[in-house]
Amino acid sequence: MWSLKKSVWVFHVNTGACNNCDIEIVNCLTPRYDIERFGIKLVGSPRHADALLVTGVVTRQAAPRLIDVYRQTPKPCVVFPIGACACDTGIFRGGYHVVGPVDKIIREEDPNAIIAFVPGCPPKPEAMISGVVKALSAI
Amino acid sequence: MNQEELNNRLLEIRDKLIDIEHTTNNRIFLPCEAENNYDVCKFLFEDLPLRFVIVTGIDSDNCFEVLYHFSNDETGHVVTVKAFIRDRENPAIESISPFIPGAEWIEREVHDILGIEFKNHPNMRRLILSDDWPEGVYPLRKEVQK
Repeated sequence: MWSLKKSVWVFHVNTGACNNCDIEIVNCLTPRYDIERFGIKLVGSPRHADALLVTGVVTRQAAPRLIDVYRQTPKPCVVFPIGACACDTGIFRGGYHVVGPVDKIIREEDPNAIIAFVPGCPPKPEAMISGVVKALSAI
Repeated sequence: MNQEELNNRLLEIRDKLIDIEHTTNNRIFLPCEAENNYDVCKFLFEDLPLRFVIVTGIDSDNCFEVLYHFSNDETGHVVTVKAFIRDRENPAIESISPFIPGAEWIEREVHDILGIEFKNHPNMRRLILSDDWPEGVYPLRKEVQK
């Protein structure tokens, strides 16, 4: 677990989001918030990641891909469902293509997964940073 | 083309339509049977010509409706061809993609979610539903929604 407390490398997974949460994640990396100063870095492969930033409701097409990505991430890892859709499917609840939310799909694969929710539509970059800090100080 | 010209030109295809409805000051609805839809759309797109916007599909009370929206950009009018498909068992309509390639994808989407067959469509494959979605289940039909 100590490995998660230093420089957390994150991988971003879009499982059917509207792109608004994704834009806010990118916003975290701009000079205004600059989360790289905390050692949080966006990486290009789940094999390099300590945490997954998951946005979107998890559609039927995306669910097996999300499980694939989760399996490829070295354990221990933290899963951050970002935004109202990822946390609880939001306004898309009951839609014909929705199999989420994210925690349900991840728990099916690994019941002991570490999951920390960041709600909001979209969550502010401050909220994401605060969520990451709270989650990492709790473990 | 101004509004008066548009109204006059629409009278040329009056015999193929059920009615010409001016609902608000910038919407014109042209209800017609599915068999006449191809000719009406071809007339609007090639003879007037209007710009093709989008297709909408509706599962209505006892029929399917396919709405082809066209825009007259000069006046801001939206002309909507409302085609009624009475056969609920095997709903089918002539595709307009052969002369409007831009309609190809939206017709595939309507086929995916409402199960309306577009005859003579060049490439009627699945577009938006997931790969494991069962064949023959159309999610926005009323019986599936219930």
